[in-house]
Amino acid sequence: MPATLFKTFKDIIADCLIHVQIFKKNILLGYMHFSIAFGWFMLILVGHIEVMIYTPQRNGVLYYPVFFRYFVMETHETLRGSFFFFLMDLSLLLVLTGIGLAIYKRFHSRILGMRRTTKLRLGDKIALYSLWAIFPLRLLAESFTANISGGSFLTISINHLLNAFVTNPDHILPVWWGYSWALGLFLFALPFSRYMHIPTEILLIVLRNAGIKSSVSRDGYAESEIYSCSRCGICIDACPMTSKKRNIKFSSVYFIRLLRRRSTESLATADKCLMCNKCVDACPVGIDSTRLKLLKRQEMHVRSRTDYEYLQSIENKIDATDSVLYYAGCMTHLTPAIYKSLFKILKSANIKYTFLDIDGSICCGRPLFMSGDKESAKELINKNRELIRSSGCKTLILSCPICYKFFKEEYKLDGIDIVHHSVYINNLLTSGNIKLHKGIGSFVFHDPCELGRGSGIYNEPRELLSAIGIVKEASQEKNLSICCGGSLGSLTLSFSEREQIAKSSLNSLLTNNPDKLITACPLCLKSFSTYNTIPTRDIAQIVSENLI
Amino acid sequence: MNKQVLVIGGGPAGLEAAGQLENLGYKAYIVEKSDKLGGHLLKWDRLFPESISAAETLQKLLEPVGHITTFLDCTVVSVSKTGEHFSVQLSNDATLNVSAIIVSAGFSLFPAEKKEEYGYNIYNRVITSADLEDFFKTGSDSRIQNPKSVGFVHCVGSRDEKACNRQCSKVCCITAVKQACEIKEQYPDADIYCFYMDLRMYGRGYEDLYLEAQSKYGIRFIRGRVSEVAEDETGKLVIKAEDTLSSKPLKITLDLLVLMVGMIKNADNENLSSLLNTRLGDDGFFQSASPILRSTEGEIAGIFFAGASTGPKTLPESINEAKASALAIHGYLSKQK
Repeated sequence: MPATLFKTFKDIIADCLIHVQIFKKNILLGYMHFSIAFGWFMLILVGHIEVMIYTPQRNGVLYYPVFFRYFVMETHETLRGSFFFFLMDLSLLLVLTGIGLAIYKRFHSRILGMRRTTKLRLGDKIALYSLWAIFPLRLLAESFTANISGGSFLTISINHLLNAFVTNPDHILPVWWGYSWALGLFLFALPFSRYMHIPTEILLIVLRNAGIKSSVSRDGYAESEIYSCSRCGICIDACPMTSKKRNIKFSSVYFIRLLRRRSTESLATADKCLMCNKCVDACPVGIDSTRLKLLKRQEMHVRSRTDYEYLQSIENKIDATDSVLYYAGCMTHLTPAIYKSLFKILKSANIKYTFLDIDGSICCGRPLFMSGDKESAKELINKNRELIRSSGCKTLILSCPICYKFFKEEYKLDGIDIVHHSVYINNLLTSGNIKLHKGIGSFVFHDPCELGRGSGIYNEPRELLSAIGIVKEASQEKNLSICCGGSLGSLTLSFSEREQIAKSSLNSLLTNNPDKLITACPLCLKSFSTYNTIPTRDIAQIVSENLI
Repeated sequence: MNKQVLVIGGGPAGLEAAGQLENLGYKAYIVEKSDKLGGHLLKWDRLFPESISAAETLQKLLEPVGHITTFLDCTVVSVSKTGEHFSVQLSNDATLNVSAIIVSAGFSLFPAEKKEEYGYNIYNRVITSADLEDFFKTGSDSRIQNPKSVGFVHCVGSRDEKACNRQCSKVCCITAVKQACEIKEQYPDADIYCFYMDLRMYGRGYEDLYLEAQSKYGIRFIRGRVSEVAEDETGKLVIKAEDTLSSKPLKITLDLLVLMVGMIKNADNENLSSLLNTRLGDDGFFQSASPILRSTEGEIAGIFFAGASTGPKTLPESINEAKASALAIHGYLSKQK
């Protein structure tokens, strides 16, 4: 418990004040967020300390620290005074540089590492422009009064400048009003704008670290996720569907906005999504928008009348007590070269295997699950689990990452080692059970969404490939890998849209002119081989071709 | 001097067009990218629906071509049009000055290995319709060993958006029926199955052949696509499909599976169309000026089409179009001085 509390505290500092995640994306973008958040926080903190020290009788009066310079005359002659003055001016300067960057970003977002940003709505605009106005006005107001109530390097200098041409001290008042108005307007617009993320994100971090997950798409934890979305738009660039400026309205940021407004259109956006999880990986706030979309689909799903009774008539006759069990799944049945190659490898390593779905698969259930039909998926899961359990196997090998992720997460097969074939083959290599011929051919490895971002397997396939040839890099790989376009996640994408995605993914993969494109997913294999200009192979195929 | 016409592609359409142009008094040149004239006809044994010999048909097409200048193993490198004349540079460094060009570049066969679920080049007993035709012609194919059961899969790479080909290839339905009858003649004990989406028996005599295939040859037609093919321990093929007429999934073990590969655009159509400054349709085939009244003419004066370069066609359609194209050129050139 203290560990969780400490982690929560650390996360709040790192994500809400310093914005470590955004720094990782782009230093300027990170600085922009850091300077505004941290600077503002310092202004509030130091302001309160000043109130506590100089006017303890006003402690707890909310507006007092905000307009402190207006109420209190102090001296910067003392060391203590000048220390706080300096700190306040420094914080204000920090915020102002951030605001400057923010204004610049509105016109040239590319400099800050973003190709596209979110389109603003009225509430956002009011909040944004008032936010821009608050700090320059505060600077001006505090500078005006700097010769009366004190100041430091910034405010005093500006005060000298102003005194040169504004001599009437009555002009001080409108500037303080302006500052007061801008701040008031911002706070008023906040709940109707994207800036709601400022207070909500802290709550989100607390809930997330407490291990809470959303079970509906709009309330509870989901609500804290929805309001924590700052609509920064990083997910727009991340989304594979938005290449060539198409489908921007289907990116996660707009999905979350539709959810927030409780719009029925959110379902269409949820259905369109590839569920490749690239936006979730990119999100600086860590919002699991894929899960929200899945929940939306499940809520809207109309129970089908499909009959699964036939499953009961399938006998549990597979015996794998003294062998490893292999499950091909529907997709690998459509790409038989993969399992043929895998069996060749297993034979050469003298490993006994049993082919669970040799007579055709009972689907793993993930396509149904992703479409929102949780009930039907459960029928399939139960039968498959029964078959696997009754086989008595210790190890289950899968060549399809879509099945793999699902078996790992939803099947509850405790005691059985579930392995993806790329990892299993790599283990055979490192344990010396197979030997490979190393040639001079070069490969690029495509990380399938479900294997990479979905299951965190990035290195094993590359280790394996480097035993056969040279592994070249793609321009976007590992957690940045672009979906092949074939994803089962999307329910409504057209062929031409999928073609666009496949081509942009190939574009990234072929950057360094590899000889062959290798992947570890039958669906990626099929999607790419349709459009690829170089040969596309599954990792099992290339390994079996290079067995010694 | 006689006006000159360049024929790009020496398949049936190109040969027929060149012969007709010569008859009309023009000088024709044929540019052929392979080392032989005849195109896909070279690889075929008998032609539907009346089982006419492909070799004899080709022989007749080649007869008038004897004195026509042909460039084999040769492609067009550049084309420039000045006024009404085309200056054409060939890959063998020859330059031709012609008054008109016929594009009779034909089609390619769909590469069956792209539909991996059917197992071509993965399982030994899966062949294509072209392989089977080659077997009929040469009498030998190590994959065909006295089969007791044979399946034909229609529409492989045709009418298939996932394979990037939406078009119907027109000839495969009737070719499958023809080949099914032929293989039954060769192996009378074999059970023959055809898996189809729907059968397009539009030509004269097609329906008769289809009925004969059922009544005389006992070929079984199953409406439904094959979903996947696997191999059992003995090397036989296990086919899974759905009989959509009885709404039942079915599983059959076969000795041989024939994939009816469709007609697709040539890979070099894009290059050729940019050289000729013509357009391609979404399907990658050439686009003519108008699909009804000017189907053999290009949008640019002096460019003409014949045969499958503008989309899948049967052989008689290609031959007729070649004649029509020659006549259109005659009309076009007669108007010039």
